Amino acid sequence: MANTIITADQTDTTALGHINVPPAQTWNYLRINDIAFDVPTPHFVGDVYARLPQLFDKVECGIGEDAVTWMAHAAGDARYVEVRAGEPHDPIVIDVDAAGCDVSDTGVLVRSGAQATIVACSHGGAAGATSASLLRVIAEREAQVTIIELVACNEDQQHLDAVGIEAAEDAHIEMRQYALGGGKVALGLCCNLAGNASRFSLDSRYLASGTDVLDVNHVIRQRGRNTRADIVTTGILADSARKTMRETIDLIHGAKFAEGSEIETVLVTGDDVVNKTLPVILCDEEDVAGNHGASIGAISPEQLGFLGSRGLGEEEAERLFARALFDDAVIHAVDDDVRQAVLARAAAVLGADVARDIAEVLGYDIREA
Amino acid sequence: MADATETSRKRSQVEDVNRSLYDFKMSEEGYERYADGLSTDIVRAISEKKDEPEWMLELRLKALAAYEEMEMPANWGPSIEMLDLNHISAYVSPKTKQANSWDDVPEDIKNTFERLGIPEAERESLAGVGAQYDSEIVYHNMREEVADQGVIYTTIEDALHDPELEPIVHEYFGTLIPMRDHKFAALHYAVWSGGSFVYVPEGVTLPYPLQSYFRLNAQGAGQFEHTLIIVEPGADLHFIEGCSAPKYYEANLHAGAVELFVKDHAKLRYSTIENWSKNMFNLNTKRATVGADSIMEWVSGSFGSHVSYLYPTTFLQGARSSCEFTGITFAGATQDLDTGCKVILNGPDTTASVDTKSISKDGGINTFRSSIVVGRRADRARATVSCASLMLDDISRSDTIPAMDVRNGSASVGHEATIGRISDDTILYLMSRGCSEGEARTMVVNGFADPVSKELPMEYAIEMNNLIKLEMEGAIG
Repeated sequence: MANTIITADQTDTTALGHINVPPAQTWNYLRINDIAFDVPTPHFVGDVYARLPQLFDKVECGIGEDAVTWMAHAAGDARYVEVRAGEPHDPIVIDVDAAGCDVSDTGVLVRSGAQATIVACSHGGAAGATSASLLRVIAEREAQVTIIELVACNEDQQHLDAVGIEAAEDAHIEMRQYALGGGKVALGLCCNLAGNASRFSLDSRYLASGTDVLDVNHVIRQRGRNTRADIVTTGILADSARKTMRETIDLIHGAKFAEGSEIETVLVTGDDVVNKTLPVILCDEEDVAGNHGASIGAISPEQLGFLGSRGLGEEEAERLFARALFDDAVIHAVDDDVRQAVLARAAAVLGADVARDIAEVLGYDIREA
Repeated sequence: MADATETSRKRSQVEDVNRSLYDFKMSEEGYERYADGLSTDIVRAISEKKDEPEWMLELRLKALAAYEEMEMPANWGPSIEMLDLNHISAYVSPKTKQANSWDDVPEDIKNTFERLGIPEAERESLAGVGAQYDSEIVYHNMREEVADQGVIYTTIEDALHDPELEPIVHEYFGTLIPMRDHKFAALHYAVWSGGSFVYVPEGVTLPYPLQSYFRLNAQGAGQFEHTLIIVEPGADLHFIEGCSAPKYYEANLHAGAVELFVKDHAKLRYSTIENWSKNMFNLNTKRATVGADSIMEWVSGSFGSHVSYLYPTTFLQGARSSCEFTGITFAGATQDLDTGCKVILNGPDTTASVDTKSISKDGGINTFRSSIVVGRRADRARATVSCASLMLDDISRSDTIPAMDVRNGSASVGHEATIGRISDDTILYLMSRGCSEGEARTMVVNGFADPVSKELPMEYAIEMNNLIKLEMEGAIG
């Protein structure tokens, strides 16, 4: 196997179809069943340094096998981290410099009873550049894992971000996902709650503005008994942004007493947005509960009236919502480099003054670009 | 009236209902039956038999070519591999002419519809009835006072032979459901036969519903009726569609089409109780376009068929138009029912409300599938979708796949879905009040279905409740 790289200026590309395909599909004419990317064909530059242990091969990522294969190949090198119980650990930081066309391939094995925090941050960007992050996590029995996934790319960047999680008995996974920008971004996530009483919670937040294209696929497989999955998604769509959100709770036969719920709230602030949502519940078991709720719309006249009585106009209110998203991302950034990436994106979207204010209010320094 | 009440009482009691109400067969002896499979000769023969205008034959032949060319999408729902068109006859007809008096209908066919309660319902509560047996309408009639208002309720075939109606059929037929919409739409246009043409003039409100009933008696046959309804401005119509078939051990196919044109300030309610036998592939297409300030209401009960693809579609074109879809699907053993609806909101201030229930038992598979599309011009459009699924055992399956595509910043769309089971506490509570477990479960299921049944005329609500009771028989133990 050879080591490979991709660059921003290369002209040979590979068409990746069937990205973010949900487990259950719907009418093809709605163009919601998948998305396609043209990605640079990896160039061979030398021998490979490492690849992940084979046990990561079985970890399903919501982005699809073709994209995973491309990412693993384009990354060339892979990073393997093992976290053992009782050992102190710093957050595992995955830094993807989008402008440099970074592609990372990371596998984290969290041993029984261990705790781990993983931060995957993709940031920056350059015209015509493509970047990617592939993260696969295996959480053994009673492991506790916190994952923070941030995509804070520029509007001319193309980025693919995949996360696959295997959760054994009593493993608890808490995940925060922030999609703060990128010209064309695909986020694929699959969590397999294989063990009894395993838990997964996801707080997913996004802001898509300008002509951004954001394409998301969340798949939660509930196989074990008494498993719990809670997905809360909130987002803002502005200008001419296009967003597709697929969320699937798959209650597999045998998952007795499992419960899954998903809630999505979308604030639409642009007149030319395209907002597609496919919230799916698949149920092959009787003693389970699955719920989904979605609310899509602008700020209601009643809410605007209330905000107006406090001196806030509609535009100001919308900016406030956007700022709250960045505030939250900065608070949960964990690592200072990651925090700076979020602040840089906040400066690009909301202005340098607002970014400085966020940093100041939250007590952080901001690095000048 | 006393007789009707007695019959209703009988039909409302589970012990009085048995499957022979729907599952009985009549001999096909003497029937005209075309060879199985599809060919240009068969399509030409159907057209020739109906003595159609040239444009209709051309449309049929184009549709046949489209059918042969088109593929089914590889990623679609329930498998229809067991459906082999080479073993389906596209046209089967009893040797009888269409009558407007039940006395003129052959005895065995008349008995069929009497057992289904159609003549009785006509006498009691309908403005008109059309009864189709296999490929042809055998009975069609409408109350005189309704006809006097200018309402036209006839077969498409008769309309095509009427110099005044033929141009109307030509103008509307096949415009709402394009023949290349999907493979089975193309098949429908190639071999369609029977169905209804309804025209309600401007400002006319029908006091009673019209009903068409479709009975497929023949084994290994297809039914391809076409229903075309035009509700002119300010008019109001309730149309009821019923269907059933006896059970055979080989596939039957239903690929009908329903095109509904609801003009400005008009209202149409389209109710369906579908109880096809469980060897039926029900691949039906229904579509409505709705003008300004108008209302389209769908009430849909799907109980039968082996496989269903059924997604009534509504285009809310006019400003302030609205659509309500209320549906229930009951999937039992051997059934895989993929049902739902589509609403496209194009006009400003349009509203859509979708409320569906599904029940799965004995290994039955239910898939609720919907799409809500809000177009760019649909300022202030509002839509809500609610789907609830009930699982009655651990060998069944229930999936919900609702899609939303919103392209207007001022629109508001809400969706909620729940999947669950009947709680043990509820059953225990009802049993503590003297119900058996079976009665308790049936009671809960009936309550679950109540939002749908209350939207139906009384006798149809009773029929639906009976169907639920029939399906629930043997559900316990």
